[in-house]
This record gives sequence, structure tokens and C-alpha cells, in this order.
Amino acid sequence: MLKTLTGISLGVAVVCACAAPAGAQLLTHKDLSVATATTIAMTAIETCKAQGYNVSANVLGREGQVVVAIRNPAAGFGTYENSMKKAFTARATRAPSGKFAQTVKGNPNAPQFFLSNYVAAQGALPIMVGNDVIGAVGISGAPGGDKDEACAKAALDKVAAQLR
Amino acid sequence: MKKFVLATGLAFAGMVAVPANAQLVPHKDMSVTTAVTIAQTAVQTCKSQGYNVSAHVLGRSGEVLVAMRGDDTGPQTYENSFKKAWTARAQRAPSLNFANAVKANPTAGAIHLSNMVPAQGGLPIMVGDDAIGAVGISGAPGGDKDEACAKAGIDKVAAELK
Repeated sequence: MLKTLTGISLGVAVVCACAAPAGAQLLTHKDLSVATATTIAMTAIETCKAQGYNVSANVLGREGQVVVAIRNPAAGFGTYENSMKKAFTARATRAPSGKFAQTVKGNPNAPQFFLSNYVAAQGALPIMVGNDVIGAVGISGAPGGDKDEACAKAALDKVAAQLR
Repeated sequence: MKKFVLATGLAFAGMVAVPANAQLVPHKDMSVTTAVTIAQTAVQTCKSQGYNVSAHVLGRSGEVLVAMRGDDTGPQTYENSFKKAWTARAQRAPSLNFANAVKANPTAGAIHLSNMVPAQGGLPIMVGDDAIGAVGISGAPGGDKDEACAKAGIDKVAAELK
């Protein structure tokens, strides 16, 4: 009797599990470790330094949260904030922040411009795992956003094997 | 002409009479490399002990030099590590001191300032008697364990702190 009841309730439980809608499953995410994030930030800083540029760096995670923020005392005063905002912009738009800079050039009242933390400046790249944006890295301090972006790119290249 | 000479003389006299405290203040501050090494060493030390922690390294004026959000840490650890470091920098002493002070006097004046937290886990970064910054750690089960990792971070760069 007990066996029968247990069998039935188990059967019901299995049916219920099968009947759960697919959208009710938990989401599986891959996120940056602090070690990877720190490697990205420091590689970017050191790459720029080797080229003669002192820069600050921010690496943000999936929700735009700071994973690693590094103020370079040798870099300009505004670089800490700017590197964060560039990264935020890249994360939010899932694209290099230079793309948003182009958008704003074409449309100075682009609506995103009225949100916090967007900046129309090159120097940040999204951090991708396949098509999934898991964060962004932003660099500021080099004389030109293209140079900032090159250091960000060097950093992402360095950890490419980890981004999957 | 004589007046001019007299005026020039006075100007020079004024320069010579500049009080000593009008000179620039010489400071030594952490480089980005030193600050990152402190934070990273602290995070890794705690990790090797089985604790995921977040870390902040602040500079002389309490400005953030490095902020690190540890793997799988609670969201409060990021803020708390900052505040522990702030407390240590503000008081030029381990944040444990403030925790003890507040235990003895829950209405201690400093508790009403921004960013002060009565919790162990923050240490000042000293060059001799000069507090050039602080490191704060949060996430280990106990402020003493946080502080031990902070100490490991500072010990690692001891040779640079002079």
C-alpha cells in the first residue's frame, strides 16, 4: 500500500516537473570572476602605459555593477569617472562606446543621453561570451578614444580563452 | 626711482618673511600597481582560506584607488569594504578600534559621519607615521578574518611603503 502511494506521488511529482513551463526555469548565466576582471583592467592599464599613456580602468559586470575599478593617480582627474561611464555605455548598448559617440554626433538629443552614466566617447568595449554581453571594460586617459579602445581590446584579447 | 627701489626692497622682504607653513606639503602616495597588488593579494589570500571577499583600497583623501567585487560575494560586501577602509583612513587606525569605541560609546560622534562603520576588517596604509590610505575587506565570516587578509595585502607591498 505504502509502495503504491509512494509510487503514485512520485509519478505525480514527475508529471508536475515535466509540466512546468519552460520560462519558469532558472536562468543560467556565466559571469566574470574577479580574477579575470582584474586581468582585463590591469592589462589595459599596462598596455597603455607601455605606449606612454596613463589611464584609469573600470570593468563592469552584467548589471553594470563595478567588478573592478582602478583609479590611476598618474592619469587625469576625470579618467576614473569617465572609464566607468564609457564601460556603462558599452554594456548598455552592447556595443563599443564609440558607436554611441557616433550616434550622438548624428543626433545630439539621442534619448539615452538623458539617462545616467551614458557618455558619448570612444574607449570602451562590451565583454562578450558568444552573443551574450556579460560586462564591459572602459578606459580613459590616453590622448584619444581610439587609443583607449586599443588598450581595452588588448585586455580582452588577453583573456579571450576564458570568455566562453 | 628711489620709491621703486624701496618697493622692490619691500617685496623681497615680504618673500623672505613667508611663513614656513606656506610651503607646499610633500606627500608620498600609492601608485596604481601598489594599490592593485594590495587589493588582489587580500582577495586571493581570503579565497585560499575559503572566503570570498570584496576589497577597497583608498588613497590619502579617501578616494577610491581600487575597488574589487569578489566572486559570489554578498552585495553588501562591496559597500562595507569601502566603509571599513574609509574608517581606517579617517582614524589612521584599524577599523576595529572604531568598533570597540562604538561598543563602549554607542553615541560616539564619528558614527554620525558618512562612511564610518564600526566593523573590523579595515587597516590604514602607513608610511612611517603618515596614513597614505587604507584597505578594507568584507565577506569573510568574521572581521578578524577580513583584517588578516587586509594585513596580508599590506605585508606584500611592505618594501614599497617607504
